[in-house]
Amino acid sequence: MSEIRQATPRATPMTRREWLMSDRPQSRLQARLGRAYMTWQRFSANKLAVAGLCIILLLILIAIFADVLAPHSPVIGNLGGARLLPPGSEGYLLGSDDQGRDILSRLLHGSRLTLLVIVLVAIIAAPIGLLVGAVSGYAGGWVDAVLMRITDIFLAFPKLVLALAFVAAMGPGIENAILAIAITSWPPYARIARAETLTVRNSDYIAAVRLMGASPFRIVLRHVMPMCVSSLIVRVTLDMAGIILTAAGLGFLGLGAQPPLPEWGAMIASGRRFILDQWWVATMPGIAILIVSLGFNLLGDGLRDALDPRESGQ
Amino acid sequence: MIHSLNKHVRMLTAGAALSLILMAGAPAFAETPADTLVEGWAIDDIITMDPGEAFELSTAEVTANTYSYLVRLDLNDTSKIVGDLAESWTVSDDGLTYTFKLKPDLKFASGNPVTAEDVAYSFERVVKLDKSPAFILTQFGLTGDNVTEKAKATDAGTFTFTVDKAYAPSFVLNCLTATVGAVVDKKLVLEHVAAVTPSDEYKYDNDFGNEWLKTGYAGSGAFKMREWRANEVVVMERNDNYYGEKAPLARVIYRHMKESSGQRLALEAGDIDVARNLEPGDFDAVSKNTDLATTNAPKGTVYYFSLNQKNANLAKPEVAEAFKYLVDYDAIGSTLIKGIGDIHQTFLPKGVLGELDENPYKLDVAKAKELLAKAGLADGFSVTMDVRNTQPITGVAESIQQTLAQANIKLEIIPGDGKQTLTKYRARTHDIYIGQWGQDYFDPNSNAETFTVNPDNSDEGKNKTLAWRNTWDVPKEWTEESKAALLEKDATKRAEMYKDLQKKVLEKSPFVIVFQQTEVAGFRGNLKGFKLGPSFDTNYVFTVSKD
Repeated sequence: MSEIRQATPRATPMTRREWLMSDRPQSRLQARLGRAYMTWQRFSANKLAVAGLCIILLLILIAIFADVLAPHSPVIGNLGGARLLPPGSEGYLLGSDDQGRDILSRLLHGSRLTLLVIVLVAIIAAPIGLLVGAVSGYAGGWVDAVLMRITDIFLAFPKLVLALAFVAAMGPGIENAILAIAITSWPPYARIARAETLTVRNSDYIAAVRLMGASPFRIVLRHVMPMCVSSLIVRVTLDMAGIILTAAGLGFLGLGAQPPLPEWGAMIASGRRFILDQWWVATMPGIAILIVSLGFNLLGDGLRDALDPRESGQ
Repeated sequence: MIHSLNKHVRMLTAGAALSLILMAGAPAFAETPADTLVEGWAIDDIITMDPGEAFELSTAEVTANTYSYLVRLDLNDTSKIVGDLAESWTVSDDGLTYTFKLKPDLKFASGNPVTAEDVAYSFERVVKLDKSPAFILTQFGLTGDNVTEKAKATDAGTFTFTVDKAYAPSFVLNCLTATVGAVVDKKLVLEHVAAVTPSDEYKYDNDFGNEWLKTGYAGSGAFKMREWRANEVVVMERNDNYYGEKAPLARVIYRHMKESSGQRLALEAGDIDVARNLEPGDFDAVSKNTDLATTNAPKGTVYYFSLNQKNANLAKPEVAEAFKYLVDYDAIGSTLIKGIGDIHQTFLPKGVLGELDENPYKLDVAKAKELLAKAGLADGFSVTMDVRNTQPITGVAESIQQTLAQANIKLEIIPGDGKQTLTKYRARTHDIYIGQWGQDYFDPNSNAETFTVNPDNSDEGKNKTLAWRNTWDVPKEWTEESKAALLEKDATKRAEMYKDLQKKVLEKSPFVIVFQQTEVAGFRGNLKGFKLGPSFDTNYVFTVSKD
């Protein structure tokens, strides 16, 4: 017995790492997990990308626990007693605004609005873009022509201008701002999805699936779309910063979130009047927007490197 | 020892020397000429300089400094009137005929003599042109057909004016101090009239010099208007033919500057002598600067919000009263409108005949909740407010939103530009409207009428007063009292009637008046005699001099 034990050190159960890195995966799950693990390896080697991820995780945590973290109410201020206090005042770490509200509390609660905008825009715009692009790329012909010309029309306008027009037509408010941003941000995704589809539509595995009798619907949904997802994720993540800026821009112009909602762009707009004497009112939300946008950009960059199949080595 | 200094130190010294030279030179560049007053002011509201058509704040000020009127407000007591061109005046016993005797040997800036003919012509052209401010004269029963009869020169020095009802003399005279009362040089204007083809809307064959007066000048004030370039500058020069005391300065220039911060920087640098559109923060900074001084004057504009009575919740009298307890007047006064306004809860602004200086309401959430409970709305309700996107209105609206929330009233702010919110307001489709109301002319009737008269409360109502806009069915007696005050000859009695009306409106009306505007100005320390008057018609610059 003892001989056997000594003789089979290599046969001991594989370490988790070895199991993940195996080049002969025993199951589909193992293959997927293995791939995810390698992606994570590449991603975590990029320190900046990890920093970006940390920022986003922190943002999510802050949004969840805003009620606990915020020292004051974000909407009810002390107009008479605590107006335009400088940063570091007692109880007002980042100072207070022109309605006597704590800027820190407003920033913390504002993170919820920022996340809401990002998440909603992503789950509205990305699927639309993906569907339009995949259908257009796979179908070709007049379907492709019609869908792509519609996409061209949307791309012909600057994003913010188009969003402004939509909000002006639908009326100001955070819901309409989200809709307007979503409506204006799907065309690039459609373009990407179409390009990816064109590269795979004539490949052997698609031909094989078609030979087995799969319907075009099934092919697009199960075999084309998954191939587009990774590049789409990268693009959406990189766009997040742009979405935040557009939302803030609409808020700044008074067309996004309405008072008293602590939307960061609207906060900058109201602080603009005091920029000469009370710089912090406009600066603090500006810094918040900067940090979060930076976080998404770093994350997006890291994801692009990690998800790029040419560098994946498999 | 110079040789031992290293390169860096030498560069530093050179730099310091250079900046010293620059600093010494800078003020000399910036100073305005000693005989010229330069004011920075947003003058983008000017459309025309014709006193028969102009109805803007900036033009009121320019006209008041460049034209003469029959009578003017007495700056020491604005409930009184003093003669300008008129030496004296009498009112007939039936209260219908006003006779003005002009001062002798008056001259226009052009050198033409000022006669009663010119006064009559000025009235005639205002009524016949019938532009927006014409109602100030036509409300006395003047029409294009009868104006030459009712406003005429009986001889070169006597002008008679006949009105259709026995109005309070103070009301008639106050109206004559408005911009439309400015007297133009008939001879000069007649040289510049343009021919017009008569039509159904406009029955006369000439334009009474309206086109030429848009940028032209035909007055007799302390200054002559030399030039107006839209959104750029208004230049006025001393009028040496002026009958009164000559202005100490040779020239006054209004430079168009829109932004408060820009005006503040230019004032600090000495590029301008007076900054006219300072916001509270910049005003504070200017008042702390020892080279600069500030002044202010209450103006005839009140800021209020009003509850549309079409909304079932807002129509309950307890709710209207609760709203009056849900404004943090003290905090708003000490912060948002500090320096640019004063808490004022009655509809007549300070300085007008009959003003009532009473501010009984304070923020009292408990009391408001009690009133709401009485109205069956203890759990609150949701309501919208149309807010124009300008300060201080948005700031005040946000503050009200916070205090209303304490009584469970959820206020949704609908922002818009002035045109959007006003259009909605005039169509009576708002819930709550917040905005300002400026007097049309310096008389209590201007505000009393709009806040307390509403003869036809239907959507087709012709008299679109503020009461009508809020669908408020004003008690008949109040409307009667307001109309009676217009005919009351005794100024003291008339004032009492307006005070009584204000108390009633304060107590029971859908209007929550929050504050009265104060006009502020920052100016260089070397100016003497710079003052702001109670109205834009009384912001005189002909008393200003420089050290």
